Amino acid sequence: MKIVVCAKLAPDASDIEIRSDGSISLERAEWRIGSFDLPAIEAAMRLKDAHGGSVTALSVGPQRINNSKLRKDLLSRGPDDLVLVAEDALTGADTAVTARVLAAAVRKIGAVDLVLTGEGSADLYFQQVGLQLGELLEVPVFNAVSNIEAKGSQVRIERSLEEETEVLELPLPALLAVTTDIHTPRLPNMKEILLAGKKPVYEWRLADLEMERGLEPRVEAVSLRAPRPVERKRILIEGSPEDAAQTLVGYLAKEGVV
Amino acid sequence: MTENKDVWVYSEKPALQAELIACARQLTSHTGGQAIAVVLGPRSLAEQTLRQGAQRVIWLGELASGRLVEDLVPTLAAGVQAKTPFGLIIGATIRGRAVAGRLAARLGVAALADVLEFQWDGPALLARHMVFGGGAVRIDRPLASPVIATVGQGIFEASALQAQPNGEIETLPWVEPPWQAAVIERRSRAVSSVNLSAAKRVVCPGRGVARQEDLSMIEELAQALSAEMACTRPLAEGLGWLPRERYIGISGAMVKPDLYIGVGVSGQAQHTIGMSESRVVVAINKDRHAPLVSQSDYAVEGDLYQVVPALIRALKARKA
Ligand SMILES: Cc1cc2nc3c(=O)[nH]c(=O)nc-3n(C[C@H](O)[C@H](O)[C@H](O)COP(=O)(O)OP(=O)(O)OC[C@H]3O[C@@H](n4cnc5c(N)ncnc54)[C@H](O)[C@@H]3O)c2cc1C
Ligand SMILES: Nc1ncnc2c1ncn2[C@@H]1O[C@H](COP(=O)(O)O)[C@@H](O)[C@H]1O
Repeated sequence: MKIVVCAKLAPDASDIEIRSDGSISLERAEWRIGSFDLPAIEAAMRLKDAHGGSVTALSVGPQRINNSKLRKDLLSRGPDDLVLVAEDALTGADTAVTARVLAAAVRKIGAVDLVLTGEGSADLYFQQVGLQLGELLEVPVFNAVSNIEAKGSQVRIERSLEEETEVLELPLPALLAVTTDIHTPRLPNMKEILLAGKKPVYEWRLADLEMERGLEPRVEAVSLRAPRPVERKRILIEGSPEDAAQTLVGYLAKEGVV
Repeated sequence: MTENKDVWVYSEKPALQAELIACARQLTSHTGGQAIAVVLGPRSLAEQTLRQGAQRVIWLGELASGRLVEDLVPTLAAGVQAKTPFGLIIGATIRGRAVAGRLAARLGVAALADVLEFQWDGPALLARHMVFGGGAVRIDRPLASPVIATVGQGIFEASALQAQPNGEIETLPWVEPPWQAAVIERRSRAVSSVNLSAAKRVVCPGRGVARQEDLSMIEELAQALSAEMACTRPLAEGLGWLPRERYIGISGAMVKPDLYIGVGVSGQAQHTIGMSESRVVVAINKDRHAPLVSQSDYAVEGDLYQVVPALIRALKARKA
């Protein structure tokens, strides 16, 4: 089975700096593999372990994603090779543009049986790119996939919906966006880390992808700010559990909520 | 595409559909068009949707057995292309996200995900949503038409059911999807479905609860307060102690109760974004430096295994 797994490299949300005027800075944020994309990589590796074939990691974004640390980090988690489309024209790309570039890359990779994505990217978490990508590739596409079993040219999947689990069978090729709990991602071991430096990395340009159209933005980000904090009373209740409980109930009664 | 001024809405969840209709009416009060609801289901559902305030219903008939809600994507795409509405708002359930993404791809636009508020800048629509896991608010302006957006439960308030609706029901030709998945099985997970966003009081256990069986103590607290049980995401996803529909946060439910009590909840942005509009926030945490403590009105510093039973006793004593 030939698998492509899409992972976004993005600034780490926990490194966001909030300035006193409420604006935010990502300048000092470290860029990482989205933590929700790691289970997708793990799912790809398990399918390869069980059925053979190959796993290609695919990531698109601005030039800075093309650095040896991120490349090694991706490859040390098991994929056989890595395709990067890293150009500054893709800085802040919206989901439609991202999905179009990914679709062109998947077509160029060629003869792909299964494309996997994470549940959502670490920075946007719009949970959209995979669905758009599947539709652009004109293949069966599902989100919230929490189990995948390959059976020849078919896959049987479980989807974890809000109130039910749905078991579906669909023909390959297909695109599946997996849940965060499909598998616990493995930690790269020393051997994998050493091996990662020797695996092929293909650096493609947008020009290589024959995308004459489709790169115009559909959405413009007008502003990005820290959420306005809600004013709270911030009353700390200490003391013995009994006393604290009494005090709290007193406050809640005054607020009219008990 | 030159659009008209209508706003379409779709959700497979009737309660959410009613909220989306309210959202569409708010938008069309600015665009001047109609709020039109798409319905897939029995005719009675189409009629109920008119009572929910839709000015027109596009009724697609009943879903054939063995088919999925997602199969309506080609029909919806063809309908939007033919009738060119200003926008289409879709309920942000898992199926809704799938519909929105696939539709956006077909129509050549990007879906605005999990919109919390729409604003107008003259004729330009702006949408507010969270990025960086709740760490930042982004305002987006769609540049392409139609506007496709997803909106979750609890963001807009449904209006009261109308006794005498006067909207019309029309139909759209069904377009067969190019591929189909075979439904092998459906297992329901939640025993009863819950509308957390409508709850007046919410008790929310987090990872501070050590064992699944200890949830019975939290449930007792919820009962003493006539509150709904919610949870943080790790308890629903990963541990699987509570159904997914009960977790609050950016990827879960948005709640605005009068009272929220977080029990052993640290208060990461991904969680607090879903409850920050609660009227009164209480934290029970053994760590006074937990982020939720500084975002609460009342924080009890202590071991939840001692505080919760004491609180239940105090509440019962008050009632007695
Ligand atoms: C993109 C993204 C989306 C996410 N979406 C969501 C979401 O929608 N909703 C959500 O909830 N999370 C979400 N998360 C996860 C989120 O980041 C946090 O990991 C999660 O909310 C933490 O849950 P918690 O507070 O239950 O657990 P913890 O962070 O582990 O906190 C446990 C707390 O319990 C306290 N405690 C421990 N023992 C006791 C005791 N005996 N008595 C009293 N207090 C005790 C500790 O001091 C601590 O503060 C998301 C994460 C990401 C990256
Ligand atoms: N720039 C990107 N490069 C590779 N994969 C991506 C990119 N953006 C999004 N994805 C994939 O699409 C999923 C959903 O992204 P999003 O819609 O941004 O939440 C992610 O979990 C990734 O698997």
